[in-house]
Amino acid sequence: MDFDPSANRVVGTARIPGAPAPKKAPVPVKIIVAGGFGVGKTTTVGAISEISPLTTEAEMTSESVGIDNPGQATMKTGTTVAMDFGVLTIDQTLKLYIFGTPGQTRFAFMWDDLVKGALGALVVVDTNRIDDCYPAVDYFERAGLPFVVGINTFNGQMSYSVEEVRWALAVREDVPVISFDARFRASVRDALLVVLDQALDKAIRMKS
Amino acid sequence: MTYPDPDDPVAPARPGVRPFLQSGPQHSTGGYTPTGEQPPVESSTNTLRPFVITSGRTDGGDPDIGMETQVTLVPGAPPSRLSPETRAIVALCEESPISVAEISARLRLHLGVTRILVGDLRATGQLDVHVLDNDTPDPDTIMRVIRGLRSIS
Repeated sequence: MDFDPSANRVVGTARIPGAPAPKKAPVPVKIIVAGGFGVGKTTTVGAISEISPLTTEAEMTSESVGIDNPGQATMKTGTTVAMDFGVLTIDQTLKLYIFGTPGQTRFAFMWDDLVKGALGALVVVDTNRIDDCYPAVDYFERAGLPFVVGINTFNGQMSYSVEEVRWALAVREDVPVISFDARFRASVRDALLVVLDQALDKAIRMKS
Repeated sequence: MTYPDPDDPVAPARPGVRPFLQSGPQHSTGGYTPTGEQPPVESSTNTLRPFVITSGRTDGGDPDIGMETQVTLVPGAPPSRLSPETRAIVALCEESPISVAEISARLRLHLGVTRILVGDLRATGQLDVHVLDNDTPDPDTIMRVIRGLRSIS
């Protein structure tokens, strides 16, 4: 899809005659990188991003607590959650954003925003703490967002095999479970390509 | 027993409790004159800042404004009185299109606050906010992302 400014809802386009033409805004697309604390989300984002990962803070409001019952973890109102993200310019008119988001607790208030329009998600798993990623897997399954489980092989070693992780997570057969190394750009690129394959499948199914 | 006159500048009634009385009236011959006295600066003001910046709004702004939504400057927009925060946002948009998340990160503003302020600047005609009509990813766009990713090493 080529960028067509008329396809965007642009408000406030009053221009002084002779003023320079506005710069075209690229179409943004996004992939979510979710996972528990310390599984390598920021490393993943940083490996593929063309800028150093930036951090933005989102506030968890009191209403969100009602919507999202965090279960065993108790969340107080006004909790600030930090999100790391990176950017990859595909071309002049297309930009890929990669958002790393906490996954050990279900910050649904934030995920609803994040998932809207997302291509898909990479759920990063540390085989020593597999259960950290359950909330993310649950959420993406229910949201119908294409996702891939990526086992981060920190030192080229995994405590469990891909099959064992698949069994532990009980994900559907069509959800890929792969291993990758968050420190290497090519490895992260390949993991994201698996996510994009899933996204493409879904987009084609939706269109037909 | 005599009680000290609380308005007596020479002998303050309760030293330490109401320190502004100790210095005495600044420009009056008597009586309680708080004019010119500054209220103590609360160390907890930081927790209030986001709400002060957004004039008390905490709803997070327009739900159509996503984290990745691109924002550009409206060329030749009419000058408008801007707060330091909104002026900083406009300045960030001057160079090239920028996402709401990048504005939030670079200005260290909460995401919700950023969304509200970007919405304000759109309403006043300072910024173009490029909300996508259809945010369902289409196969052609995904193919372009795949080709773009494959080309990096």
